[in-house]
Amino acid sequence: MTKSMRQSTLDTLGLGNVIDIFKNGRLPVNASELVEQVFGKESERGALVISGANGIVGAGKMMQLGSRLQPYGIPLIGLDFPGVPDGIGFQYAGLASSFGKKQADEIMSSVIRFNYEGTKLPSLLKKFNPKLLIEAIPEILEIKKSHYKIFRDSFPGIEIKSVTSGFPSSELGVDIYHPAFPHQINKIWEVVESKPSKITQLFWVLGMLPIPVSDNWAFVLDVLFCGLTLSALRYHEATNMPFWKIDKYVRKLFGPNPFRAHDVIGAKGANFLTWSCLHHLSMHYGKLFEPTASLVEHKDGGQNWYPLNHLRPMVNWSVDENELKEFETWILGSLIQMTSLMLHENRSHLTYMNSIGELCAQFRNGINSQIRRLGKENSIKIVDSFHKLFPDASPKAWHPDVFDNLNKPEWQQLYVNAEHDGKIGVITIARESYNWDVNEEMNRAIDWLKAEKIERVILTGDFHLSTQLVGADTNEFFPALNIEKEGFRVSYEWSKTARRLNNEFKTSVGFINGKRCLGGMLELMVHCHYLVSVDDASLGAPEVTLPVVPGMEMCHWTFRKAKSNDWEKLLKLLLTGKSVKASETIGWLTDYAGPMDKAIQITYDIATNDEKALPKRIFNEGKLSGLPTDISGIASQSNPAVKAIFDCIINSCTSDLNEAITIQSKHSGAFMTTKYCQYGFIGGEYTKTMVV
Amino acid sequence: MKKVESIYPNARIPYGTWGSSYFPAWQMSALAEVNIGQFAGEAMSKIMSKRKVQMKNLDYLVTGSTIPWHWKFWTSPFVSSCAGFRLPGYHVEQACATGLKAILLAAAEVQSGSSDTVGVLTFDRTSDSPVGVFPERRSYERTIALSDVWDNFGFDPATGKAMLTTAGLAARKYKIDRKEVDELTFYRYEQYFNSLESGFLNRVLVPMEVLNLQGKVLGTIDSDAGVRKITLDGLRAMRELDSCVTSGTQTHASDGMATMLVTSKDKVKEFTPRPDIDIQIIGRAEVRTLPSLMPEAPVLTIKKLLNQTGLTMDDIAVVKNHNPFAVNDAIFAKEFNYDWHKMNNTGCPLVWGHPQGPTLTRVSMEALEEAVDLGGGYVLIFGCAAGDVGIAAIYKVSEGGKN
Repeated sequence: MTKSMRQSTLDTLGLGNVIDIFKNGRLPVNASELVEQVFGKESERGALVISGANGIVGAGKMMQLGSRLQPYGIPLIGLDFPGVPDGIGFQYAGLASSFGKKQADEIMSSVIRFNYEGTKLPSLLKKFNPKLLIEAIPEILEIKKSHYKIFRDSFPGIEIKSVTSGFPSSELGVDIYHPAFPHQINKIWEVVESKPSKITQLFWVLGMLPIPVSDNWAFVLDVLFCGLTLSALRYHEATNMPFWKIDKYVRKLFGPNPFRAHDVIGAKGANFLTWSCLHHLSMHYGKLFEPTASLVEHKDGGQNWYPLNHLRPMVNWSVDENELKEFETWILGSLIQMTSLMLHENRSHLTYMNSIGELCAQFRNGINSQIRRLGKENSIKIVDSFHKLFPDASPKAWHPDVFDNLNKPEWQQLYVNAEHDGKIGVITIARESYNWDVNEEMNRAIDWLKAEKIERVILTGDFHLSTQLVGADTNEFFPALNIEKEGFRVSYEWSKTARRLNNEFKTSVGFINGKRCLGGMLELMVHCHYLVSVDDASLGAPEVTLPVVPGMEMCHWTFRKAKSNDWEKLLKLLLTGKSVKASETIGWLTDYAGPMDKAIQITYDIATNDEKALPKRIFNEGKLSGLPTDISGIASQSNPAVKAIFDCIINSCTSDLNEAITIQSKHSGAFMTTKYCQYGFIGGEYTKTMVV
Repeated sequence: MKKVESIYPNARIPYGTWGSSYFPAWQMSALAEVNIGQFAGEAMSKIMSKRKVQMKNLDYLVTGSTIPWHWKFWTSPFVSSCAGFRLPGYHVEQACATGLKAILLAAAEVQSGSSDTVGVLTFDRTSDSPVGVFPERRSYERTIALSDVWDNFGFDPATGKAMLTTAGLAARKYKIDRKEVDELTFYRYEQYFNSLESGFLNRVLVPMEVLNLQGKVLGTIDSDAGVRKITLDGLRAMRELDSCVTSGTQTHASDGMATMLVTSKDKVKEFTPRPDIDIQIIGRAEVRTLPSLMPEAPVLTIKKLLNQTGLTMDDIAVVKNHNPFAVNDAIFAKEFNYDWHKMNNTGCPLVWGHPQGPTLTRVSMEALEEAVDLGGGYVLIFGCAAGDVGIAAIYKVSEGGKN
């Protein structure tokens, strides 16, 4: 029987637990089978129809789905009013730059366009046997309903999914697939359906991120993003602070620029959608969501939030400590209250609610993780202070009791989950970059498995939200830019966590199943006794390009496990920052790389049978000798980052394992305070984000 | 306090809802390089924020300036959009009377019931004033190019005389003594620096950072740049440009903005942090004097105003004026037998400069703050303006202000 710290997100899609993937030796569903179930057998394939196909959502999704469904020979039908601007054609350049001209041409050759005047479907549509309609027409309830009726009358049994952000499923009478911006590349879909459908599972296996949410007015992303915009607007009206400056403070506090985002999406449409979302929410939950006068004006006028280019801001605004505290209260208080409402209504798995903010609304840290960090009392205190500033915030939409459970695993393991079957444990990471939250949750997951007496563990992504593992979250390095001991702390503490994978389990296997595994995430993975990867994953250590000195022991750990004649490959990896395909790393970085199913099977086999499945590489805990001294063929030592990383490699490798953690952390921390880092990518990000 | 009915009984100036930029001398700050209309709009929003006034509660904007600026055509609606809130409104221009005239017109708007809360926003950039090119078929040049500030200062087309000449002529008419003018000027500088050092001016002046196109700081406007302490000997040594007029005893061109509110008596408590302080406009007057005697015009205006209101100079608690020439103060003192040491206590345009549009707005707010410190009373504001015009108004600050 499988036990888990909290429900896996995969389970919410009807796909079981992650450990089941390893036990069954394959992914829970197969794309070809699901395509057949949804669109019919190859000989009688039905079509996907997107109505409103030239709109920003319709055209974006046509490209995204088209690129995934094209190999299965599914006709992609774009339906729209005659005379609307060509949104699909507009996407071609992006498609070509992502996939190359040849594949872009092939995808576009699957797209069939029909005009539709609103009352009668094109007669030729029948020839294509539509099986799935993704509706992306304007947000007018009656028009949407009559649209569905026309389709149902013509094609009984057709599956209809609406991309609406304006109406709940109960109003529309169809399921909802609410996608996140930007529509060509964002893979998140908030899904409202009574139980996970084959289409949802097909989306998952095609690499999308379907996220089940409950059926309410406005979905999680909209509550968070529109709510954040509304909070910023209230601050604007209370203090006159211009939108551009509020954006800077919101970015510093949370990460997003709500006003800039509206302008980038297209103010006219985005203003309406934000207003519409808030308007409907305010109808149900009161003034907490009531659009402000300036939003109404921008909705009606369709104007941008940022000044025109010739009126770039002239007078600077800054706030003192008290004003900043008030700003935080306006924004955070409002968002905490809105989150309490969503939690009260069980709108989604907590990991989803948290991740939607990060993956779709540019939150640096998800709202749940922020609340968790604040704790119950502080969160309630902030909302109380917000109510003093905005007494109209509806008490009926405030549910402080939802924070009673902050200590429960659902709250404590937002990013990292652990499962086991009594013998093998699986730790899954649902965040693409490693931060303090992930670090703490990793430790709790390891503690839990240890308490459950599990000695064999697989470390992997969650097969859902983390489609890749990109490395350390560089936002966490900001304090280290000026304080060396902060850099040391990050490096040392995170390395300590990583070492637990090596020290505290009989067998640990890192499994890389995404597109790439880089930097800090790769450093974490290499601490496992074995490293298995799908063969086409890119593995790399891009730290030198930022530049930083790798902090989680990449500079010596990998050398200790590689043969000396492979050290040059590791040096190239570390000193050039160039990634390599996993298939090229067997024996010196990974222990196995192969196709997905095979890699899954090997991983479980190793976790179960150790060396019987695959010999373990020797791990040299002593001082290494014979490291190359001349790297001129690899990278130039006149590059200060190259020199710093090479120094770190030499010094940490020529120490024993016990000393090496401190040595590497010292190198890493010291380099972060240098001008190279301060004026590099991280310093630049810090200036852009934190210097307001 | 003698009881006098206000000419705008429904209009109030909410105490403490005002503010001004510093007035750096021309070409001495970042203000020399920016669109002053945009600056003024953005600065107003910031000042009102500091005063806890939400711009959304304004329903009209009277702007005032005298020197053409980029996009002036769009007047108040444009400037208000720079402040982040789109308002209707109009633009007023009456040379150096503009700053006071805008306040009076805002009060008239409120009194008429047309608007509840009117913003007053005056500004000017004398630096790099635009050059207008005017097709003039009857002139021998056929086309006239006019540098707005300097050419106008140097030539009143109605009289053919320069501004500076009017000061010399008026000084001679009133037999003003150069020695007195130098002493008066020296005293005015002392008053200004005392006020600056005491922190009094912090109640009125708000520092601003001006950004360049890249969003970096182009300059900080945190002083009346160009104003330096002077010595009496230094003043005495200066060459006389006309009777009693030296470079020390006249003002200098500067850049800046100033803003305040006028609202209805019912709304005033929504804006001011001190609703116990009641500020009304009691009266106003304007007079034009004989050609090229501009500095005497305020005297004639005040006489008319006192006559209208029934007040005497003994009833006035605070006297403050726009004095582009020290001669102005000497003539006023002589005509009303008033000790010039008692007026312009916190500084005046003779010292801190002459950006034209906002000058009398800043004069008004400094004077109102002074009256509040005194516990209330009548406040006489006056000044001269191009065209041999004088303008004057009396505010009433309720008793008990300093509490």
